[in-house]
Amino acid sequence: MLDYLAQALTPLNVLFALGGVAAGTVIGSIPGLTATMAVAVLVPITFAMDPASALILLGAIYTGAIYGGAYAAILLNTPGTPSAIATTFDGYPMAKRGDGDLAVSIACLSSLIGGLVGAAALLLLAPPLARAALAFGPVEYFWLAVFGLSLISALSTGNVIKGLIGASFGLLLATIGISETSAQVRFTFGSNTLLGGIEIVSALIGLYCIPVLMDLVATSDRHLSKPEATRGFRLPEAVSALMRNKVNVIRSSVIGTLVGALPGAGGSIAGLVAYSEARRSGKGAERYGEGNPGGIVATESANNATVGGGFIPTLVLGIPGTPPDAVILGALLVQGVRTGPALFADGSSIVYTFVFGLFLATLLMLPVGLLIGRFAYGAIVQAPKMALVPVVAFMTVIGAFAIRNSLSDVGIMIVLGVIGWTVQRRGFDVSPIVLGLILGSIAEKGFVQGWTIGDAMGNVWGQFFGRPLAQVIIVLAILSAAYPAFPWARRLIAQRRDPGPATAPPPRAGETAPPRARLADALALSVFGAVAIVVIVQARGLNADAAVFPRTVAWAMLAFVALAAIRLVVLKRAARPAPARGRARTAIVPVAMLGAVALIPAVGFLVGGVALALVLMAAAYHRDGEGGRAIVSVAGVVAVVIGVTLAFRELLAVPLPGGTLF
Amino acid sequence: MFRRTLAAIALALAAAPATAQDFPSGAVSYVIPFGPGGESDITARFQQPHFKELFGEDLVISYKPGGGGAVGWSQLNTMPADGTAIMGINLPHIIVKPMQGNVGFQTDDIVPVHMFHYTPDAIVVRADSDYQTLDDLISDAKENPRQVTFSGSGKGTANHIAQLRFDEMAGIDTTYVSFDGTGSSTTANLGGQVKAQWGYTTVGAAQGDEVRLLAVAMDERHPAFPDVPTFKELGYDLVSGAYRGIAVPKDTSEDMRAEVADAIQQINDQEAFRQTMLDNGFALTDISYGEEMDAFMAQKADEYLEAARAGGVIE
Repeated sequence: MLDYLAQALTPLNVLFALGGVAAGTVIGSIPGLTATMAVAVLVPITFAMDPASALILLGAIYTGAIYGGAYAAILLNTPGTPSAIATTFDGYPMAKRGDGDLAVSIACLSSLIGGLVGAAALLLLAPPLARAALAFGPVEYFWLAVFGLSLISALSTGNVIKGLIGASFGLLLATIGISETSAQVRFTFGSNTLLGGIEIVSALIGLYCIPVLMDLVATSDRHLSKPEATRGFRLPEAVSALMRNKVNVIRSSVIGTLVGALPGAGGSIAGLVAYSEARRSGKGAERYGEGNPGGIVATESANNATVGGGFIPTLVLGIPGTPPDAVILGALLVQGVRTGPALFADGSSIVYTFVFGLFLATLLMLPVGLLIGRFAYGAIVQAPKMALVPVVAFMTVIGAFAIRNSLSDVGIMIVLGVIGWTVQRRGFDVSPIVLGLILGSIAEKGFVQGWTIGDAMGNVWGQFFGRPLAQVIIVLAILSAAYPAFPWARRLIAQRRDPGPATAPPPRAGETAPPRARLADALALSVFGAVAIVVIVQARGLNADAAVFPRTVAWAMLAFVALAAIRLVVLKRAARPAPARGRARTAIVPVAMLGAVALIPAVGFLVGGVALALVLMAAAYHRDGEGGRAIVSVAGVVAVVIGVTLAFRELLAVPLPGGTLF
Repeated sequence: MFRRTLAAIALALAAAPATAQDFPSGAVSYVIPFGPGGESDITARFQQPHFKELFGEDLVISYKPGGGGAVGWSQLNTMPADGTAIMGINLPHIIVKPMQGNVGFQTDDIVPVHMFHYTPDAIVVRADSDYQTLDDLISDAKENPRQVTFSGSGKGTANHIAQLRFDEMAGIDTTYVSFDGTGSSTTANLGGQVKAQWGYTTVGAAQGDEVRLLAVAMDERHPAFPDVPTFKELGYDLVSGAYRGIAVPKDTSEDMRAEVADAIQQINDQEAFRQTMLDNGFALTDISYGEEMDAFMAQKADEYLEAARAGGVIE
């Protein structure tokens, strides 16, 4: 064993691990640049390398990228990778109140622990865990997705029905395009743009990031409150936050490892499940979803544990646990390493060298991650708005493009961003939509496959409810869904016992909403209702396999819309967003971005990008803001746009459209 | 408009008198219309180092996944037609998909220049399965109609069409459960969620002793599995699988098409490449641009479409 450790620790390998973690962290922090892509680009380079070094480099990049996803989640409310979705729930509120630096340090420490637990499981428990993962059948994946969806009850603050409508909408969005299990074309309305479906990462960016940008330009308020003095890494505070979450971090790391070991689940589900469990068992005074460090601890330790966990099925079964694993698996095959059952049995040195390399990379993540995190925080907090907005907007465009090399995905991202901004103002959170979108395809596949198998065996009910593992997940999902009602139930019981001076419910600010707000809510509900009806009508033309899931969801959505409508009419309550400010500026963001998408095929990515940046700089310019440095900002932003475009084209080999002008 | 102008310029350039060595004239972009890690990607990765070694130019692999390949193929003809861009193609996908609805391309839009290998269909069972031979499976299926469940990769795919054709040939009625790739289909089989898998010889190569192949859909036995009979030996005329090749945009000149085909064939001729492919369970095919390709495509189209129609995959 020590021999393998020594092999992993050659100076060259340490250098690869260090460089890999740093590069990965930067890549992961850019929304749209995923670990999968970073690893895929590097594969040809590793052909010329010794297999062990190649693996260490790829593993280090992967580890870094999963951690780097936390930065954008915390500082921009935009998960840099899907794994970091749940990091936004508490990370962004922390950043908003000026604790972004602390949040980043907590994320780093949590990622470190999660990464170590995952790697330890890979080293010590890989073969038995891989066997155990096989017990997960289609039905269990279906219930796991339902478990993830149960978080809706917590995410939709105040209005669960609106959360359910949003989640149904997300589930329906996930069915657009060619169905994976039935091969039928669904809900594309004849458009080739929608054929490939809605790409999840770009949709995430759209739903989370674009509303933030639209609100940013509207006013001259700072994006994040700025600390008076530099406060270093705030490590002691981060460590004590972690100590308060001892159980949480261990539980989340174990959840991350186990979910990572399920081929077909992945980091996003691991983070959501860990978050959900942390919230359910959280006893502290701080509420989850409002800036509780425990939320970051849970998500970040879980998603980094999936790195080690995901390699378990990849190396033991030859079946990749996550998309980046799939790329690494390909690289291994080219190197002549045969993964699969024999690899561990032979005690092959390369596996152990790789696992030690993964430990090394995870440990290096602490100094590297803290330093880069400090820089990212500083950059975002210090940046004047008129630099921040165009750079972030440009990054979302280039990132969304690079995922599938598709401009259509960029267009879809922007449209979803506008939808997200609009429905948010009517009291629909975007998180349930995102959950539906991410979990939709897993839920649908599991449902249709489980149904097909159960039907063939003549026992559909037993297939879905009779399997012990499924029953465990169902119970957990119910607990998680019902959790928000716990305090209410407890209060009810307490009141019965002690009918003393009960705490009166907090007076609601104005029970009835003005007619205009109610009308707007009614309009939003009718749009969602119309979506459901269109799906039901269109589903009639599909075969049974393709139709069953969207039709069921659409009927449920229609029921939720009806409930919400009754609530609106009877209670006369409606969402009352803060009055919109700077409407024209707000509208410029999506319009300019769509304009850039239209322009890019003709003038090329670079020119389109620079034009977009300039327009958004003007939109984000406020005289009472940080004027004076405008010239510096313009030069800086244009330089960033050009630099990033060149880096994508030359270093990452992304085929950005050239057009006639570069 | 701009695109059309560009295409015209590209066409003019491509029409310039071809010299012996037009391809590759620089780095070549190789677009895989699937995500990374699948067999299209892995075989492209196997080709990559040989391409560099033979021609001294980079083969740059990128991915354009979506719609089971449809997103990539619907954009094939917008790529430069000057030999700097090639795209991976798969059968039966490019034949069956356009018949399933509007998927943004027609089979005729695609110009296949070389089909370089295929993964033969195979029935895979777990090592501890009761099915020792194909006959065991068939007799179980006859006694228990529909209850023999197969996992397989996708609908209207090689696995699915093989299942439909084999059910017909053997006079049985089995249930096909569609998964979203060979990886998850294999997981389901290994985990005992289904009784067997319509998979490929590559599954046998990757899983080793954990699985047993009952039969392979090849003309002759696969060198990596000398003990596994072919369906033909057992009396079922089933030779099928997922064929993979290279296509170019349709504006590409005839000379260039031939040169691309020739380059791919040269990689196929490398002993080291052949060995890697066979070790991983693939089977090589050397079908190049020209009459040979036309005949191959016509024959496969007949086979696939007939089975897909019979099985209700297309109308």
